[in-house]
Amino acid sequence: MNAVELVNVKKHYMLGETRVEALRGVSLQIEKGELLAIAGPSGSGKSTMLNMFGCIDVPSEGIVKVDDVETEHLSDTELTRYRRTKIGFIFQSFNLIPVLNVYENIEFPLLLQRRHSQKEREKTVMHFIEEVGLADRVKNKANELSGGQRQRVAIARALVTQPIIVLADEPTANLDSETGLRIIDLMREINDREKTTFIFSTHDPQIMTHARRIVHVRDGKIVDRVASEAAV
Amino acid sequence: MLLLKLALRTLMRRKSRMILIALLVAFGTFLIIFGTTFSGAAHDVSRRSIIENFTGDFIIYAAKSKEKPSPFAFQTPLPNIPNVPEIERYLDSLPEVAAHTPYAQNYAILQVERNGTRLELPFIFYAVDPTGYRRVFDNAQMTEGSFFGVDGSRSNDVPDPSHGIVISEYQNQQYMKSYGTTLEVGDKLTVLGLTQGGVNAASSKVVGIFDPKYYKNVFNYINFLDIGTYSNLYNFTGVQSLPPNLDRRLNDASTNEAGIFGLASDDSLSSIDLNTLKSQALSGYTMIAVKLTDHSKTAEVMKLVEDKPNLGIRVLGWSEASGYFAQIASGLQTFIYAATGLIFLIVAFIFMNTLIINITERTEEIGTMRAMGAEKSFVRRLFISETLILNLTASVIAMLVALVVIVLVGNNGIPLPDTFSQFLIGGGNLPLQLQIGPFIQAIAVTVVVSILATLYPVRVATSITPLEAMNKR
Repeated sequence: MNAVELVNVKKHYMLGETRVEALRGVSLQIEKGELLAIAGPSGSGKSTMLNMFGCIDVPSEGIVKVDDVETEHLSDTELTRYRRTKIGFIFQSFNLIPVLNVYENIEFPLLLQRRHSQKEREKTVMHFIEEVGLADRVKNKANELSGGQRQRVAIARALVTQPIIVLADEPTANLDSETGLRIIDLMREINDREKTTFIFSTHDPQIMTHARRIVHVRDGKIVDRVASEAAV
Repeated sequence: MLLLKLALRTLMRRKSRMILIALLVAFGTFLIIFGTTFSGAAHDVSRRSIIENFTGDFIIYAAKSKEKPSPFAFQTPLPNIPNVPEIERYLDSLPEVAAHTPYAQNYAILQVERNGTRLELPFIFYAVDPTGYRRVFDNAQMTEGSFFGVDGSRSNDVPDPSHGIVISEYQNQQYMKSYGTTLEVGDKLTVLGLTQGGVNAASSKVVGIFDPKYYKNVFNYINFLDIGTYSNLYNFTGVQSLPPNLDRRLNDASTNEAGIFGLASDDSLSSIDLNTLKSQALSGYTMIAVKLTDHSKTAEVMKLVEDKPNLGIRVLGWSEASGYFAQIASGLQTFIYAATGLIFLIVAFIFMNTLIINITERTEEIGTMRAMGAEKSFVRRLFISETLILNLTASVIAMLVALVVIVLVGNNGIPLPDTFSQFLIGGGNLPLQLQIGPFIQAIAVTVVVSILATLYPVRVATSITPLEAMNKR
């Protein structure tokens, strides 16, 4: 069963007077439970693809299906609801809410859902805090954490609603290589354990090898689809 | 709870910037409460003071008058009111009328002898029926003599105190400055009045010296002359009634022609003893001040009096009749409202700009929330919560300060500079009364201004898409 599917998706936008072709007819199917890397140089269309998967951008042409639902016709409110329940985000710059501590940042998406009791929330949040190894940092604010720790919080926050897919846009770009690898390993472990679908973009060859499948994009097109060595 | 937590912590995080806004809001709130209380009190005290000391609730004047009554119209006296007794009878019949008094404004020259030299002193005055005037107004605080013997306190040494002049202390000081003399109680003098027929003279004397309690800036210059002397001076005197036997005979004779001719042969009617006649001021009065039992009925009673046919009069409310004095308090009120409005306009503008800066700085945060599934309404409520928490907190603190100040000032009143106080409320301290209205106004204004100032920034904030968080590098 597909978590996400792109069918001949094109995306163009205007940059001043220049028409930029971000995606030029991309078709791709990603099954549930995959750990997929979208690899390519800057400007290749990686982020645009992730934005389509995440229901935060719509295609100029083609079909985007998330959990078998075509998203291009959904209203802003419906897309928002869709993101809230089905998608988790991990940002390159971590994007933790600065006034909230570790626990509160992770709890935030659950509070937006407004369907869990405080007890349920506490149990779930603590579970993911332990998953990412931050049990001793529960009360710390974002500015009291290292880059790696912040990204762990971001991973826990993305996972806490148990979404269908977790999207990570260059999740290791702001981390040193060792920490970056640890973060990817963590994602892989969770993928193994929880069967959560992870899709991350990267241009780092070392990082991409940790995915189970790699999709190479260049100039808005998929140029290669390979199972990574890690998967083998 | 989530919204409140986020809003409170965000405010604390940006406190240095927010303190400026809070101070402005607090100042605006204080200005609304204190300013409204102050100007409201000034308005009430001014109204009371003008009515009690100056004009009554309204003034009646002749319908043919081209000018309206004014406290300063001494150079151009109003025309006489016709048939004052009938008007007074009508006023007496109205239960709403507490008291009334007719009077006139005019000017004259006082001639006094000093060391063989005749001095001519300018003299502006109210011509009054002393008893009636005193019943309505009690502004003349006697320092020597009496108010034509009405208050009686120091009138024993003044022969026939009901006639004469009562002069203000300040006027006496001016005489000293300009003419090197003052008038004393008991001084005999001649009053010269200008009429259409020339200059008339009447003998008079000083019966009292007063210091006005309120509105010194008006009453320092106004003196008093009894209406009898005034009527004499300006030829307003008539005869109150004929001798009774003549009156009776005339009545009897009026029924047949022979009776009329028969009067000529009656020796008892050939001469009239003038000592039996009583003079009557026909009507030198140009105004009648009317005081009501219930001030809230002023407009109603004014209309009633003005609509009464055949009286030949018009009426003017206390506010207009006081010249610009009533307008000072109203002007102050308008000024305070305008100043408050301006403060809140500035607050709204600064606040809006600050919010937009905050939003620009928080694009990533807002975009992240939106990516995680926060709806636009969540973002809107977040910013409105921040605004209301900040502004209402500042507003409540300012309210407490205003409350303490008003309670402390209380009935003793705010001491005002004398000149300002004279113009504003007629003199003295301005007592403040705690009222709920200004507090409600302040809260309402704060909430409305906060929400209005947040509208545009919120629009900017809700237009931030998750893309902006995703693409943030």
